Amino acid sequence: MLKEIWDNLKGLYSLGVGMAITGRYLLSPVETIHYPRQVVADEIMESFRGPIQLTFGPKDPAQSRCISCQMCVKACPGHCLTVTKGETKSPVVWLYDFSYCCLCGACVETCPASALEFSHKVYLVAKSRAELSMDLLADLKSRALKKAESVKSELPGSAPTTQNLAAPGPKDSPVKAEATKTPLANSDPEPKAPTEARPPKKAAKADPLPSDATIESRPKNGSDQ
Amino acid sequence: MFLSLAIVAQIIVAVLLIIALMVGNAVVMVYMERKVAGFIQRRPGPYEVGPYGTLQAICDSMKLLAKQLYRPGNVDLILYYLAPILAFFPVLLLYLPIPFGPYLTALPVGDGVILILAFAGLGVLSNLLAGWSSNNKYSLLGAARAVSQTVAYEIPMILALLAVVFLSGSTDLKVVTDQQGPWPWQWNIVLQPLAFFIYLVSLVGETNRAPFDLPEAESELAAGFHTEYSGMGFALFFLSEYANMLLVSFVAAVFFLGGYKGPIADGFWWIFIKAYALMFFMVWIRWTFPRVRFDQLLNINWKWLLPLGLFNLWLTAAVIKVAF
Repeated sequence: MLKEIWDNLKGLYSLGVGMAITGRYLLSPVETIHYPRQVVADEIMESFRGPIQLTFGPKDPAQSRCISCQMCVKACPGHCLTVTKGETKSPVVWLYDFSYCCLCGACVETCPASALEFSHKVYLVAKSRAELSMDLLADLKSRALKKAESVKSELPGSAPTTQNLAAPGPKDSPVKAEATKTPLANSDPEPKAPTEARPPKKAAKADPLPSDATIESRPKNGSDQ
Repeated sequence: MFLSLAIVAQIIVAVLLIIALMVGNAVVMVYMERKVAGFIQRRPGPYEVGPYGTLQAICDSMKLLAKQLYRPGNVDLILYYLAPILAFFPVLLLYLPIPFGPYLTALPVGDGVILILAFAGLGVLSNLLAGWSSNNKYSLLGAARAVSQTVAYEIPMILALLAVVFLSGSTDLKVVTDQQGPWPWQWNIVLQPLAFFIYLVSLVGETNRAPFDLPEAESELAAGFHTEYSGMGFALFFLSEYANMLLVSFVAAVFFLGGYKGPIADGFWWIFIKAYALMFFMVWIRWTFPRVRFDQLLNINWKWLLPLGLFNLWLTAAVIKVAF
């Protein structure tokens, strides 16, 4: 009897402890992010496995490492890849239908030339299925162009090509990604090929002030439909 | 009783004001509930509609107004439509005897607390009718739980209020308020801390709020007794739930926290501040504790609150007998 009363008093005390915890949480600042006004830093996005993309070539970043061996096409369980070999080993057509992709990464795993990788596109939006079928070669070209531009603006004195050679792939120094605000994972706003239809990324970093302009500028995509 | 035109006019104005208070209270409480829930879980809560999401509740109520009233088959038609109305309208009556200010009482009734306790029982009836007429097992289970819970928690609630009635020697809410002073150490909570604690627990049980929200336990019973109600039918239950919360908070403020009395100047602002502090406390409780099991719920009531309430009542009576 006494023990039961004592247990209940202890339980009552534990209720007070719980209230203190939630009360403390109530007063501490929020940890989530107001999405359209603030975005997560691009460095954190490195761990996000978005739709696949081609890696930069070793010499010319716009030239893919792909050797058109068709391993990824065979490995893909969703049959979402189309690779056509050209005159040389390098492919002439590299189509990727994201609407069939299950993001399993089998293509990235099997690629013997390390030509594939996951992109970090978090904000990918599409209004139709056609927008989700992407031309990865055109995407690679546009990304390489963007990278060269950003390197040029970053280091006006040095040659941009050597910088590209030094750091192939999207893993760039975080300082640069922060300074240019256009990380390499982002695709460019103007599509190159008619088949390529991808919404541009939001390049702006976390904006502490709420501004409607960033919301407006997000999914503008005038290429198809 | 002489029912003059002035009194009728007074009651009509009062009822209109009370309806406005109920609707306004629901809007404020929905916002407060969601905001507090958000902050406790360290997220912002409603944010997009209006400045800091303040218009979110208004948009939600507009949506409820415009929604189709969907009625499932084989319901008991009369009871099905009667239940939300019966949930809403008795609450209007319950606000009549509450003294909001020194001269601000809708209908000064001598035995205000008896009127409140008597008509509060109609809320259970509406829950039972809603659950029974919906022709849905979840509704019926929720209704059965609502009845056994509310009936059980009414008893310690009455015992706690009775202890204060013993002290003040009156069931008139105005008299109870007048016997307390403006400062916190002159309130009844100092004389009756155990009664206040019992009232606080049974207040949560009486209004079917978490952690005692078994009649509408989402994870077990869909939505309990109001599962089959949509649109305004649901909205009336919702309104009456928040109105009941506010009512028991007002009663607690009158009986234990000095009512409209407070430092500097007496007035309705003090009773509102006290009632909304209690409402905030209830919201805080809701987002802290998990739901209890049904046997635990009834054990808390019958094994703890009821003996404690009786003991407190006996102690109060003995002290009054000896001291005065």
